Amino acid sequence: MINSVFRTKDGKLNTYLVIGASMAAVVIILSVLSIFWTPYSPTAMSAAQRFKAPTFAHIFGTDNFGRDIFSRVMKAIGTSFLISVFVVLISGTAGILIGSVTGYFGGIIDTVVMRVVDAINGFPSILLALVVISLLGKGRANVVLALAIAFTPSFVRIVRGEFIRLRDADYIIRARLMGAKKTRILFLHILPNIFSTFWVSVTIGFNNAILAESGLSYLGIGVQAPDATLGSMLSDAQGYLGTAPWYALAPGLTIVWMVLSAAMLSEGISRRKKGVR
Amino acid sequence: MIKIENLTISFDDKKAVSDISLEIKPGEILGLVGESGSGKSVTALSLMGLMSHEAVLESGRVTFGDTCLLKAGEKPDEKMLRSYRGKHMSMVFQEPMTSLNPTMKVGPQVAEQLLLHAKDRYPDAQSRRKCVVETFESVGLKEADSLYDKYPHQLSGGMRQRVMIAMAVILHPELIIADEPTTALDVTIQNQIVRLLKEINERENNSMLFITHDLNLARRICTRLLVMKDGKVVERGDTEKIFTDPQTDYAKKLIAAVPGRVKHPEIDINNSTGNKILSVRDLSVFYKEQSKKLFGGKINRQVVFSAGFDIYEGETLGLVGESGCGKSSLCKAILGINTNIKGSIENKTVRPQMIFQDPYSSLNPVRTIGWQLEEPLYTMDVLDKDIKTDKKWRKEQALKMLERVGLDESYYSRMPSQLSGGQRQRVSIAQALITKPKLIFADEPVSALDVTIQDQVLDLLEDLQQEYGIAYLFISHDINVIHRVSDRIMVMKDGHILEIGDRDKVFEDPENAYTKELLAEP
Repeated sequence: MINSVFRTKDGKLNTYLVIGASMAAVVIILSVLSIFWTPYSPTAMSAAQRFKAPTFAHIFGTDNFGRDIFSRVMKAIGTSFLISVFVVLISGTAGILIGSVTGYFGGIIDTVVMRVVDAINGFPSILLALVVISLLGKGRANVVLALAIAFTPSFVRIVRGEFIRLRDADYIIRARLMGAKKTRILFLHILPNIFSTFWVSVTIGFNNAILAESGLSYLGIGVQAPDATLGSMLSDAQGYLGTAPWYALAPGLTIVWMVLSAAMLSEGISRRKKGVR
Repeated sequence: MIKIENLTISFDDKKAVSDISLEIKPGEILGLVGESGSGKSVTALSLMGLMSHEAVLESGRVTFGDTCLLKAGEKPDEKMLRSYRGKHMSMVFQEPMTSLNPTMKVGPQVAEQLLLHAKDRYPDAQSRRKCVVETFESVGLKEADSLYDKYPHQLSGGMRQRVMIAMAVILHPELIIADEPTTALDVTIQNQIVRLLKEINERENNSMLFITHDLNLARRICTRLLVMKDGKVVERGDTEKIFTDPQTDYAKKLIAAVPGRVKHPEIDINNSTGNKILSVRDLSVFYKEQSKKLFGGKINRQVVFSAGFDIYEGETLGLVGESGCGKSSLCKAILGINTNIKGSIENKTVRPQMIFQDPYSSLNPVRTIGWQLEEPLYTMDVLDKDIKTDKKWRKEQALKMLERVGLDESYYSRMPSQLSGGQRQRVSIAQALITKPKLIFADEPVSALDVTIQDQVLDLLEDLQQEYGIAYLFISHDINVIHRVSDRIMVMKDGHILEIGDRDKVFEDPENAYTKELLAEP
């Protein structure tokens, strides 16, 4: 079973999927683990331990307050991961609901909804999130909401396109002739057909969500101190680039790792899809 | 003169053709017939040295006169092959839409042949143009001079195929390879092209390799035939001999499956009970189309003009006409898929179903066959809720229907991608019939299938009709198929119904000139 998941239709090993899944597994394990345990307290400061380069005791070194960077990165991964998951979950669900209805029915609803989507899409997503957060105030929930609003349009577009492509397919016309209800056609006949395309866009959306969340924290309007996030750590670290380069390297490389794992996963999934015909 | 000896070609260690030998004599038309995947096209492409890179020439050789064009184990001499292509042998492809370059005017495209192979005889543009225009005229293209400067998209399918033929004959090659040259064309155009190819063969006295899956066509045009199956030649001989006295089992099966216009009194039972189940009066169908003008909005384009006809219980009404004549639009309007209509439709049956042409798009690719067969039972509104939510009952019905269309239980849990075209079409039929509708619209249900499969599916449709008393509206462009299945025939052209009547009456004594041309036995 597991073996067949990681192989393409012609029996070759799907390397993208294997590497992506392993990298993602590391991220998920670390973020779950961080809830219960970190090597040191991520907020415990120590004047004696300031700016220690990576050693076996502190594998990523320590920062300007003497906090263990690895513990902070672990916590930060957890925060980033959780926020990104919720962002993708909310915007993906909204995308399916809005995109399926507008795509399948078309007409005036489609025109109106798509113009609204265009309008939202007109703003850069960071700018839009900035506006929403300044209206609602800071905090994790508001970051999720702000990013979800900014990310919904791209999901709507993708789902809508797929529904338009499939609504006149022969097997959908036959479903209509059988007398299947509209909701049944939308969610039982058409929706399963778009999943492979949808999963690819989910992983890409996840990537963008990690980057956007880091960006917001970097600008200081995301999750607030003393909670660690990758963006705020980067922002703190840039003042010490000359004296403690490992400080910036740790969160920076972690962002690269997370983004790369999602990108590999999406490539792996799309290769699987192509194998199926 | 042109010889293939013991040719074996394989792709990825799978043999596409194995141990094929053939010889094309000057002036003859050799037919290569067989079902899809039998290796016809690979054989033809190997003659031109145009096989794809993955193809491996395992054994054999191709010779043209005294020259060896291809030989196993030797790298093909591209330069020599190029000098042969076009000049000594040329090819006409199936799809005139894609075999002409859409960004180039058709005249210069044909003139390129002269530029490449006969620059000494036609040194300047003026002389090349003259030659191309003359060739255009010789293949029956009218207003050849103005045609020279037109783009492919400005030409109809038949005209494009004539341009392709002009390109193939302009250098008077000794061999023309025609790979399904008429398959993508309408019936009346098909006849014209076949006549043209025969005429060219007689005029130029060159040889022709004619590849087709259509045995009726092969019988009309070819002097000798090669029957291929799974990459092997199973039978060869004079066309008439093969048709009247086939030797191998496969050839017998193939010939028997060809829908001819023979009357079978024992099969030709009109099941009609005389009860009217559908009556259409004065029906016009429209499509919304974007106006070409800027800010023009949408315009209604009429595709069917006041159609009126009836369908009786248990009968088969054959609907013939060329592509774009409004056959499918008429069906979709009656089924309520297109609601942009005028006129009256009185349907006395419950939920008529439709069977589509393309077996690959008429089944949902992500659902199992079982799910797709049970779905109509779940969605139909004729039964009470207790029965249709009973999973066991639904599965029972689905299995029964599978067996009825000749597929065993194991298909229940399979996905459509694991089925062949013929099997998919059986599933489609099962899905349409599982709720026992009294009226079925069959839109070219066998056109995408191979001859022997086609024959089986038609048999199945006829059996089911007798068993359940279904009426079919049967659309096909294949006159022989229509002749076989229909009780009555309806002829459409450009959205108008030209003629409607009993099959034998329409075939033997058509009232309309167009019907006469369409149904003419070639």
